[in-house]
Amino acid sequence: MRWEDWLVLIITLAGIIAYGIYRSASTRNLEGYFLSNREMPWYLVLLSVMGTQASAITFLSAPGQAYTDGMRFVQYYLGLPMAMIVISMGFLPIFHKLRLFTAYEFLEQRFDHKTRLFISFIFLLSRGLSTGISVYAPSIILSSLLGWNIYWTIVVMGGLLIIYTVSGGARAVAYTQQLQLIIVLGGMLVSGYTVVHMLPEGVGFRDALEISGSLGKMNVITSGFTEKGFDWTDRYNIFSGIIGGFFLALSYFGTDQSQVGRYLTASSIRESRMGLLMNGIVKIPMQFLILLIGVLVLAFYQFNPSPLFFNKAPIEKLRSSAYADSLRTLESKHEEVIGEKRHLVAALPGVLRSAETGMKDSLLGQLSALHEKENGMRREIRKMILANGARSEDNDTNYIFLRFVVDYLPVGLVGLLIAVIFLAAWGSIAAALNSLASSTMIDFHKRFSAAVRNDENDYRLSKLYTLGWGVFCIIVAQFATGMGSLIEAVNVLGSWFYGVMLGVFLVAFYLKHIRGNAVFWAAILGEVLVISMYWFTSVGWLWLNAVGAIAVVLLATILQFFFKESKT
Amino acid sequence: MENPEKPPLFATWKGWYLLVLAILLAEIVFFYLITKAFQ
Repeated sequence: MRWEDWLVLIITLAGIIAYGIYRSASTRNLEGYFLSNREMPWYLVLLSVMGTQASAITFLSAPGQAYTDGMRFVQYYLGLPMAMIVISMGFLPIFHKLRLFTAYEFLEQRFDHKTRLFISFIFLLSRGLSTGISVYAPSIILSSLLGWNIYWTIVVMGGLLIIYTVSGGARAVAYTQQLQLIIVLGGMLVSGYTVVHMLPEGVGFRDALEISGSLGKMNVITSGFTEKGFDWTDRYNIFSGIIGGFFLALSYFGTDQSQVGRYLTASSIRESRMGLLMNGIVKIPMQFLILLIGVLVLAFYQFNPSPLFFNKAPIEKLRSSAYADSLRTLESKHEEVIGEKRHLVAALPGVLRSAETGMKDSLLGQLSALHEKENGMRREIRKMILANGARSEDNDTNYIFLRFVVDYLPVGLVGLLIAVIFLAAWGSIAAALNSLASSTMIDFHKRFSAAVRNDENDYRLSKLYTLGWGVFCIIVAQFATGMGSLIEAVNVLGSWFYGVMLGVFLVAFYLKHIRGNAVFWAAILGEVLVISMYWFTSVGWLWLNAVGAIAVVLLATILQFFFKESKT
Repeated sequence: MENPEKPPLFATWKGWYLLVLAILLAEIVFFYLITKAFQ
């Protein structure tokens, strides 16, 4: 990275930290620290909800996901708008009426303390672990780019964002998220425009989509059906997206304190609703555009030599291993393919817009065959990396976009795009730390502490809990190196727990006759079922959210017949 | 369970819910057309 890029990066990050500290002034009590005194307008709620969901993982992995697997990942978000409606109709009125700090307080009022503690414990566990992965995501950028030690990079990175999160609470989180999201989306738009601008003369935006389409990557809507019927192991299709995605979004936005804590900062239920419904409107187009950058990068690499593997580190290890000769052979074969491609695409700009469709189809068909050859080589090199013992480094999805940025984008823009990744990470991590601290303070500390506490003490303790969770997430990040595609790792982890959490809340809202013992044991059994299904079957993880929620509702209904208890 | 506060633009929140659903439907149709056009 050149000094101009460093300057852009440092100024952007320092600016955000300074802005976070400047916005830190909040009332020194729990309502001020965790809920920003419930005074936020809807557009800040919207940006905060979006900034919390879209982490660095979103911006690192999504273009890579589109590059390798196509646009179909966008279907994962199709259930989200319906979830926003259900939360606006059913969840919000109760949360606002009870003036809750955390969603889990409601479970004690409705059921009993053990159900509240179990669900808030699940939240702390899953959110703590996934936030650790979110700390790790931007850290691989620095270590990969600059050869910095990954462990120290994580420590430094996590430490910077903790500064304003601890000092400013929910207010600093919301205001910095607003600025972060504007810079992030601006940066991604500029990078998308630059990719198209860098295509050869005569090749435009539509042509790039046509090229990526011929390589099978414009598969935005897929049915999941094969000749043998519906494929339940297929991860992303319109059915798993709408049904599985709906349950996932409902549980994430309706029961995960990192999101509930964002819209509880709104000044009224009207502002919360507007924030959530606008999220339902803008989220899918935003995700679509981020994925589109991935297929544009793929089109770009048809005219420019692409690396055989986008993460350099495991390749360097192979060079000094017993696989060095096999690697050299593979690389020379790849060079031959690149040569063939160069020859082929030279004729492409002339024929892409011609009326001669036969010639165009023939060229695109040959290009597709060469792309398949390259994919075969990529599979071979992954096998080599695995055989060489680098089990965690055989997936380069997260490196694709980043490698493109560093290798091809102009000076200044590289620094901005690196800053974008950091800011996206900070936005979501800051909200997570704030919510982890609020659940620890409200659901555990205040629930069990017999001592009479004043506002000042609660405020100081809340800051300490925020700091503690920051340190915890940094420690988890140190062990996150073996997780493959990070966006999937986070979502898989969520799917283990979210369905069950949602099931408990659905019972609480809609099955009034079911009481604490039945729902508690239903939640335990539901969790066992979901995790067993993940390990012992090949059912796509998006379905686990639906399975968990439905299992808890059914089991609680059945178990209620066996528990004769007084109304709680 | 309806919010007594009046929503912007529409008389009730149902207007907003229908708008969100209509946009979702339009997006699915748009994505389907893109898939057809470029596959």
